[in-house]
Amino acid sequence: MARTTKYFARNLAHKDEVAAELEVESLGQGRYAVTLEGHTFELESLVLPHGAVSMIVEGQSFSVEFDEKGDEVGVLLRGQLTRFDVADERKLRLRAATEGFTVEGKQTVVAPMPGKIVKVFVKVGDVVTEGQGLVVVEAMKMENELKSPKAGTVTQIVTREGATVENGAPLVVVE
Amino acid sequence: MARIKKVLVANRGEIAIRVMRTCKELGLSTVAVYSEADRSALHTRFADEAYCVGPAASRESYLVADNILDAARKSGADAIHPGYGFLSENAKFVRACEKAGITFIGPPASAMDAMGEKTQARTNMIKAGVPVVPGNAAPFVDVDEAKAYAQKIGFPVMLKAAGGGGGKGMRRIDRMEDLDGAWRTARSEAMSAFGNDAVYMEKFLDQPHHVEIQVFGDTHGNVIHLNERECSAQRRNQKVVEETPSPILTPEMRAAMGEVAVKAAKAVGYVGAGTVEFLVDAKRNFYFLEMNTRLQVEHPVTEWVTGIDLVAWQLHVAQGGVLPMLEPIAPRGHAIEVRVYAEDPSTNFMPSPGTISYVRVPSGPGVRDDSAVYAGYRVPNFYDPMLSKLSVWAPTRMEAILKMRRALDEYVLTGITTNLRYLKQIVLHPEFVKGDYDTGFLPREHKTLLGEEDKALARVSMIAAAMRAHQRAEKQQATIATAQKPGGSSHSAWRSAGRRTGSWKKGA
Repeated sequence: MARTTKYFARNLAHKDEVAAELEVESLGQGRYAVTLEGHTFELESLVLPHGAVSMIVEGQSFSVEFDEKGDEVGVLLRGQLTRFDVADERKLRLRAATEGFTVEGKQTVVAPMPGKIVKVFVKVGDVVTEGQGLVVVEAMKMENELKSPKAGTVTQIVTREGATVENGAPLVVVE
Repeated sequence: MARIKKVLVANRGEIAIRVMRTCKELGLSTVAVYSEADRSALHTRFADEAYCVGPAASRESYLVADNILDAARKSGADAIHPGYGFLSENAKFVRACEKAGITFIGPPASAMDAMGEKTQARTNMIKAGVPVVPGNAAPFVDVDEAKAYAQKIGFPVMLKAAGGGGGKGMRRIDRMEDLDGAWRTARSEAMSAFGNDAVYMEKFLDQPHHVEIQVFGDTHGNVIHLNERECSAQRRNQKVVEETPSPILTPEMRAAMGEVAVKAAKAVGYVGAGTVEFLVDAKRNFYFLEMNTRLQVEHPVTEWVTGIDLVAWQLHVAQGGVLPMLEPIAPRGHAIEVRVYAEDPSTNFMPSPGTISYVRVPSGPGVRDDSAVYAGYRVPNFYDPMLSKLSVWAPTRMEAILKMRRALDEYVLTGITTNLRYLKQIVLHPEFVKGDYDTGFLPREHKTLLGEEDKALARVSMIAAAMRAHQRAEKQQATIATAQKPGGSSHSAWRSAGRRTGSWKKGA
């Protein structure tokens, strides 16, 4: 692998921003040179046993915690958590090839958290308005009503009352 | 009354540990109860003994009085501390303890009856000459009755659980159209929280302050108050930040409210720790809201400024002791508490259970953390999402605010989403610093409190993220190089990269 690698990082809080380009060069012994927008930072990193990193950049000390899910890297620094989507050029090409699978007009309401379905208000074939309550999910003693993201017809119900669901589980499809 | 030697704590999480800590200091044995989901919880491991009381759902474990009493018998516990929530305000449970010959550490069942059912409590308070918020005298029979009543007193109104407080089963309603939905969710929430789905209605006071008075009674008829707590910083009707003294109270108001609170407690023959909650309007009129007949979540701030261990007092009074102090005491310095929740403020405080990968709690002078989490702990989705109560003490309010900011900066908790940054934004907010904030503060300032991104930190974070990705790639490269297993690797970077789809803007 080349000693210098190009990465593309997108701050997930800024949906409309293009990814920034960063060049990372290994200098050995935990030292790296990172170039961002024409400026090269020399940094020294020490990986701690629990996975956090102590990073010294130009004399400034940063204690960084990471929260990683696939290519998503969450960085917790001085109380601020910033999430990035980070990929190298190869991954980027792969992604471009697999893009374009979202179906226009069809919306799937998913469980925003793990929990229990306590109520399903609709059945297949029901015509719903935007914002109409579809299901109630209970998690941690709080009940949360999930609303229809659009006006349309319920074409599918993938859950039932009393079911335990995981985060991201599809519940209702509105078309 | 017999001396207590072994205490069963009928609760979980931080409050179970809080109570056990004092028990241990006093040389008392401790007994934990746990649900099947809490086998790995800290409180289960913290106690001298632990007994499983049923499946994960609290209705089948922590709320089942018989199971708790069985555990008490098995362990030979002579007293039960209920903590807050669960069975803490259940008069039937108190009577069952009595019958079993076990000391219930809390008020007598009669005082709970008088205060527990909220509409009954209001009636009792009116009789005792305590001012109350306008509302109906008995729970509704059906939704139509609720609608008619709302029409009569005018929107906005609050629909509330008659069986308990703590923000559960409580909904603010602004329009008739919203009443059906609120009726449904409030009642079912009340049912699962208190085992009672009765609801009633109160006139919604526009952005009042929420100030409460800590009271304490003994079995000899003495009742004193231990000053107030300001609890106006609320989201979804649940407290997020509490402080004492309240920045809006004058010594005269404190004395007047303290006197009313003591009167309310005496009217029902109160014994032990209790809290009388008041709403204070813009003209500084105060109204009785409800009495919580238990130890309150936010009791640490009172402990900070009075120097009293409230749990130790509870144990003392439960054994027939006379209150160690019979005169009100002036608060010393200032204390603030924040509640750290497993929730995402940016998605309407949606709970975010999951596994904590790393936690480092703040410490240093004047800092206290009451929590029950550890690295590797999976926060179950069956219970309240509170992870920790962080509290600080300093000689003045401003110093306490500065200390809280410092402590929040020190708090590291990864793996799940928390409200830590939101809490920091609250204690940075000019309205909070000024001190005159009402219950409308958090909802009104929600956008500001989500916090602007610190650009410089985000930049450094991006550099760290790229470095991290590079380190991972290096590590993977090294593994492949040493393993030399062609095609046999269980983890393929190509495969996982192929699985992922992302939305990248043109020009990326």
